[in-house]
Amino acid sequence: MIPAKKIVRYFLSFFAVITLNFVLPRAMPGDPVMNLIGEDVYVSETTLAEIRSDLGLDRPFFEQYLNYLWDLIHFDLGHSYHLHREVSEILFSRMEWTLLFVGLSVILGAFIALILGALAGWDSNSKMSRVLSCVAIWVSCTPPYFLAILFLYFFAFKLGLFPFRGFYDTLTVGSVAHHLFLPITVMTLFTASRDFLVMRGSVYQEKQNLYVLYAKAKGLYGKSILFKHVLQNASLPLITLVALDFGFLFSGALFIEIIFSLNGMGQLIYNAIMARDYPILQGALLLIAVSVVLVNLAADILYSLIDPRVRSKQ
Amino acid sequence: MNWKKPEGIGLFLLVLFLGMAFMPSIFTSYEPQEYFTPYGEPSSEHLLGTNKMGSDIVTELVYGARISLLVGFASAVLSTFIGILIGLFAGYFRGGVDEILMGFTDVVLIIPKIPLIIVLAAFLKPGVWLLILVLGVLSWESLARVVRSRALQLRETGFVLSARCMGFGPLHIMVSDIFPNLIYIVIPKFMLSTASAMLSEASLSFLGLADPGMDSWGSMIADAFNNGGFIREMWWWYLPPGLCITLCILAVVSISFAFEDEEPRLNLD
Repeated sequence: MIPAKKIVRYFLSFFAVITLNFVLPRAMPGDPVMNLIGEDVYVSETTLAEIRSDLGLDRPFFEQYLNYLWDLIHFDLGHSYHLHREVSEILFSRMEWTLLFVGLSVILGAFIALILGALAGWDSNSKMSRVLSCVAIWVSCTPPYFLAILFLYFFAFKLGLFPFRGFYDTLTVGSVAHHLFLPITVMTLFTASRDFLVMRGSVYQEKQNLYVLYAKAKGLYGKSILFKHVLQNASLPLITLVALDFGFLFSGALFIEIIFSLNGMGQLIYNAIMARDYPILQGALLLIAVSVVLVNLAADILYSLIDPRVRSKQ
Repeated sequence: MNWKKPEGIGLFLLVLFLGMAFMPSIFTSYEPQEYFTPYGEPSSEHLLGTNKMGSDIVTELVYGARISLLVGFASAVLSTFIGILIGLFAGYFRGGVDEILMGFTDVVLIIPKIPLIIVLAAFLKPGVWLLILVLGVLSWESLARVVRSRALQLRETGFVLSARCMGFGPLHIMVSDIFPNLIYIVIPKFMLSTASAMLSEASLSFLGLADPGMDSWGSMIADAFNNGGFIREMWWWYLPPGLCITLCILAVVSISFAFEDEEPRLNLD
């Protein structure tokens, strides 16, 4: 269903990230062992010697690399000497919440942008279209964490409508929803703004096509031409954008998590930066790269389902 | 060119921020290393108060323009240069060269940039030049694609064909015949990539991964957020740097709109 060329390219991107992760700690000045386990940690001499022989740093580079790949295949991302746990274990336990938060916002944002962007592009001179475009441009030019700070200040601090921090007080749907409402709103606003501008431009271009004129000549009403004929074609660039944008959106989510003190990947990465916990940082990069590739694959499949031209090429 | 009111305001703001970057002494009479009473409230001497260390916040704001603009423009110059080079070669030579270069572009496009920069900056010594280099090297893909498709069209035009008939080599044709026709798509893209580099700089300095020796707007917000400026409701501490980031990026983006006669499109990546 997906051309082999694309799969090869995804694989190469992922491979580039893996290789970089392998090369960085070994090529940096200083003791590679310290680079691999992170600075500012105390480990005994015997543990150090153990790690050294385990990593086989004295063996040829290529052999080390194969070893490294072998570990990756077994989900062995190393050990965090700061948190005293396996990196993969920590990452997977934190990932759930972040994925819930990012996934909901990305889908919600894309859906809002699909509808509003379509309406704004269809009637591009209307007041609504202009106001929404201004808002979307403004939001796109604001760092997500600053937007989060403003929302936190206004809705949680001033109005006291929402809690300041955390995912929940007690693990119930109500409590989680109450805690996640603000972060998801900020994140949705952020994704919707980027998607909106693309969707608006896409509908604006699509409506110049002859089939739209023909539909009008047949006597169809404006909105039904938009939603029955134009929307499907115009949404194709949106799918590509959401997929390509996923890495960027994911990073934005990390910052929003930090502001709202949500204990997900963002907090984890932030603490790892502060503590120079390299294995966590590298593991997180790898995990984000995997999710970006998966989302792009999913977008390609969706694309071929929506666009018959792509399907019939095979 | 299509100058309207928003673009005019944008240009004015950009000139203002450039003024702050080049001649900070016009805007403030203090130095960033001068310290006063910490946590000061806005007063006639310190219009926006002082921070935890006692630095004047207006002074920090003025000097912050330097880093933001430097990182933005310098990395955009780098990424634009790479993007034009790759796009031109792929579009002009087509065939195998095109396949390889565009394949490479697709590969780079997928790599998540901010997490990668976080890892790089954690390993290397964080600094402005590292930031510029990494942002520049990682954000040329969309320009390369646009330049390529334009070069594909241009290589079939009459003036390029006649230049080839006259025996000019490919390099000469690319530089003197094709490149001048790319200016109108390169300039708006250049402004957008400046804006997105500034946005990334703001995010990374919030994490403390920009230059530790220089105060930027992002690190000012982080400073206020981590040192109780937020809980104490010292809005004059964290609000102005955020507004500066947004306004400066908006100013840069609005100039790219002046080059587009169609609908405004924004794609910061």
